[in-house]
Amino acid sequence: MASIRFSNITKRWGSFVGVDNLSLDIADREFIVLLGPSGCGKTTSMRMVAGLDDPTFGDVYIGDQRVNDLEPKDRDIAMVFQSYGLYAHLSVYENIRFPLKVRGIPSTEHDAKVRAAAEMVELTEFLERKPKALSGGQRQRVALARAIVRQPNCFLMDEPLSNLDAKLRITMRAEIKHLHHRLNVTTIYVTHDQVEAMTLADRVAVMEKGRIRQLGTPTDIYNNPANLFVAGFIGSPPMNLIDGDIVEGQFRAEGVSVPLPFQGSRQGVVLGIRAEDLRLTDPAHGHFRQAVYSVELLGDATLVSQRFGSRLITARADKGFRIEMGATSAFEAMPSAYYLFDRASGDRIALPA
Amino acid sequence: MARKSSRSLSGLLAVGLGVWVILAAFPFLWMAIISVRVPVDAFSVPPQLLAPFTLENYYELWVVDQFYVKFFNSAIVTLGVLCVSLSIGCLAGYALSRYEGNLGFWLLMVALVFRALPHSTLLPGYQLAFAELGIWNRYETLIIVLVAINQPFTIWMLRSFFANIPKDLDEAALVDGCTRTGAFFRVIVPVMWPGIVTTGLFSFLLAYNDFLISSQLMNADKQTMTAALSAYINADDDAYKLMQGIAGAVSVTIPLIFLVLFFQRQLVSGLVQGAVKG
Repeated sequence: MASIRFSNITKRWGSFVGVDNLSLDIADREFIVLLGPSGCGKTTSMRMVAGLDDPTFGDVYIGDQRVNDLEPKDRDIAMVFQSYGLYAHLSVYENIRFPLKVRGIPSTEHDAKVRAAAEMVELTEFLERKPKALSGGQRQRVALARAIVRQPNCFLMDEPLSNLDAKLRITMRAEIKHLHHRLNVTTIYVTHDQVEAMTLADRVAVMEKGRIRQLGTPTDIYNNPANLFVAGFIGSPPMNLIDGDIVEGQFRAEGVSVPLPFQGSRQGVVLGIRAEDLRLTDPAHGHFRQAVYSVELLGDATLVSQRFGSRLITARADKGFRIEMGATSAFEAMPSAYYLFDRASGDRIALPA
Repeated sequence: MARKSSRSLSGLLAVGLGVWVILAAFPFLWMAIISVRVPVDAFSVPPQLLAPFTLENYYELWVVDQFYVKFFNSAIVTLGVLCVSLSIGCLAGYALSRYEGNLGFWLLMVALVFRALPHSTLLPGYQLAFAELGIWNRYETLIIVLVAINQPFTIWMLRSFFANIPKDLDEAALVDGCTRTGAFFRVIVPVMWPGIVTTGLFSFLLAYNDFLISSQLMNADKQTMTAALSAYINADDDAYKLMQGIAGAVSVTIPLIFLVLFFQRQLVSGLVQGAVKG
């Protein structure tokens, strides 16, 4: 069991900055998710914990030990790879046993440990197979079993679910969550899928261009996005964002007029509102009045969109709600549901509650 | 309909392949047939399909002429070349497949240039140097030269096999507790096996089939089978010698056929590279 600390980590390749002065404290037994679009430095950060990449500047600590100069094998970590990284020439049993064998753990203990790990990920009946004869989900389970067989200090998971089909991903997500609950080992989980981040994490670090843009609990990140990037990245459908200005307490954009609890005027702001906070209302006095651009039936809800310039504003309506495309419509929301951002810096502008 | 057309297609394929096999194998088959005849029968005009059987040619060649010495020469040189070029090729190929800088590319380019040179252009340089060094007519010398000629190709081929193995595999092994060397031997090499066998076969063939270098660098006592055969086959005026040469050619070919049959599975998977993927 161990905490992990990034202390002013920078990773460069030539002039390209992969990770930019990153500092992050991960508590013992915490499940932390590094979330961001591809190229944001999340995988690189994790690989520096594993020792597969070296930081250009800064230090990585596992527990109290600075591990910069340690080989991967000496860091007492286990990693699950996106492409599984299974040993094709070995059976499932031997794959799971491999870390025990390599690390010289007495061979009398192997069998019990391998079977316990296989049991935990429900692989017992496949132990004699070769990875080639397994489905994607089973392969990922082998990779998980290989990681947990040795009870390491820390698990590193590099987009472990992204090669699986959608249905399997949901099952495996639950399994990973269950596994973490059971084993209670510090876990760093890298993904670009915000749903995985929201469902699995104790805390989420949302990354962009090598920096952490916001660090917080999933609820925190969802309810209080610190900036435009986080607001736009988290949520499905993504948060509606409209460029405009504030004129005497009113947000104004073409076809939009929203009263805000804001004193005075301000140029160059972005108004944010989540789809589920918007409701359809009488066209006479909504905040957003426009013809219906599209209606999407999701089954558990109905998405209704209006179009403002090149942007779509989407409201999430009840599943029984129906409206014709092209009909006049209006959206409104509680004033407290609106978010305001500075357009230039992207930072959140606080609104009085 | 589809079934019918696929059946007629496969019939066509079988006929085509049959014709091709007969055409390709005919020279060798004919050689094998006449190698067990006396010269008069072997070269009769018109050719005879049936003739008295004799092992005289083989006996003369292997026992009287002590052709087994050449066999041992071949074995030593071929195995030597195989071991050295595969060892170097595996290490270099692996390193080059994992190395990301520019230097690796240029190394490979230089290797390609050396590979492209006609072998005979290298000989004049060797001859003087080896004579001065006093390492003429030695197994090591022949092995070194053949390895040098062969190595660029081996490295290229192995590098592309290694490049097909995902880097995740090395990294999984590192995290699981291997050193770099451990990861290479415990994880990469076992997966690479078909690639190593395939490359090994090409390497083997180059050494085994080499005529030019062996005939130039080695005296008669240490020549390989392939080089030694020329003395028989060029003996135009002596039909008996020529017949022994033909028996020798058959003897040299047979091990190759068995070799390919024996490693058939690895060769096929190596050539299609299917087994390399996890």
